[in-house]
Amino acid sequence: MKKDLISANELSAEDLLFYLSLAAKAEEIPPREKLELLRGKLLMLMFFEPSTRTKNSFEAAMRRLGGDVMGFTGTASTSVKKGETFLDTVLTIERYVDIMVIRHPQEGAARLAAESSSLPVINAGDGTNQHPTQTLLDLYTIFKCFGRITDLKICLAGDLKYSRTVYSLLRTLMLFGGNEFVLASPEALRVPDYLKWDEQGHRQSFVETDDLQAAVEHCDLVYMTRIQRERFPDPLEYEKVKGVFRLQASMLKNVRSHFKVLHPLPRVDEIDTDIDGTPHAGYFDQVYNGMIMRQGILLHLLGAKI
Amino acid sequence: MSAREKLLHIPKIRNGIVIDHIPAGAGIRIVEIIRAYPGLDAIVITLGLNYASNKIGSKDMIKLQDHDLPAEVAEHISLVTPGVTIKRVVEYQVDKKLVLRPPREIVSLGRCRNPNCITNTERGVTTRFRAIDDRSSKFRCAFCERVFRIRELEFVLP
Repeated sequence: MKKDLISANELSAEDLLFYLSLAAKAEEIPPREKLELLRGKLLMLMFFEPSTRTKNSFEAAMRRLGGDVMGFTGTASTSVKKGETFLDTVLTIERYVDIMVIRHPQEGAARLAAESSSLPVINAGDGTNQHPTQTLLDLYTIFKCFGRITDLKICLAGDLKYSRTVYSLLRTLMLFGGNEFVLASPEALRVPDYLKWDEQGHRQSFVETDDLQAAVEHCDLVYMTRIQRERFPDPLEYEKVKGVFRLQASMLKNVRSHFKVLHPLPRVDEIDTDIDGTPHAGYFDQVYNGMIMRQGILLHLLGAKI
Repeated sequence: MSAREKLLHIPKIRNGIVIDHIPAGAGIRIVEIIRAYPGLDAIVITLGLNYASNKIGSKDMIKLQDHDLPAEVAEHISLVTPGVTIKRVVEYQVDKKLVLRPPREIVSLGRCRNPNCITNTERGVTTRFRAIDDRSSKFRCAFCERVFRIRELEFVLP
């Protein structure tokens, strides 16, 4: 039976650990050996909306496994422009390739493709819904930094109301024991209440604060997200919180020595560049881990033995 | 109200289906649903509105003469007005009675209220919603994964 990766919501704790071990295995394979693993396989990158980072990451992952890549970004050069439906595009392309990665501005697009196609489908973002490879690479980064994804004090900071990345990360980390969460955000961008309940219907306890510095000093890591201007009807209000939710090296003086700063990127100015050179900066390693995790996923969905 | 008066208000049927305990005001919507299904548009239907009810205060009632209620229609009604009672009448006697509860899964009947859900723009997609609680009061769209209360869902006639 073919396998897909559509939603982090349907991954159990066991599934998540499986993907982490898969990435760890993929990372250990020497580059030359890797080049043989997916030789002759063709990946289609169907990006109905632009996302340079995710697209490049998949492309690098596939090429370094010896596979080939084709694809498009935007709909200008596709038959969608002529009125072709999304499904017709999917069912046409599946005749050419071995696996599809889909990014689409509408929620549910990747699920629809996966249910209609006989090929493995990877969701690379469907509207505001899911981006499971981001969740997996975030978990893998945390795992690599700390050797575990349990018993950690985790600060999620920035826009916690509208960030799909934060939703998925919070939900998956809640599946593992002993994690404590500090949610640092402006009042208007707090985590919605329904996210505070775990799968068993128990309400998790969170510390909620708008004091970013105190939060990071209390935690093992901070996961920063960007606060977008358009979330604030009052531009003055945005200017106020923008300054407060900007992490600078001077704010990290009292953090633990192993403290890490993570970010899904791209950043604008919520992480000052003066953090880049410190041992706390984890966000560029996160980019590398993303490619490795995607290699693990491609190998698994294409049935390669590692 | 005496049994005789009740008889005058609501004529008995010999064989067929009685849909009872419909909250007052919802009866017309149920008749519309029944009549929208193929083969049910020409059957004899009696609709009574605003009867006094010990159970729910004021109720509507529907009778289908000499006709059964197909399962898919019952499911549709259960989604729009959960909790109504369906009675099958054989030779003036109630043969079978059940209270309609919403199903665990709603296939093709619902329209997703998320305007950005792919099911709202792609042609011919069969929608699916799965209950996420024991009482089937909240459903998750299988595509966009948004959760809706049952009364927030929009149901489409066939």
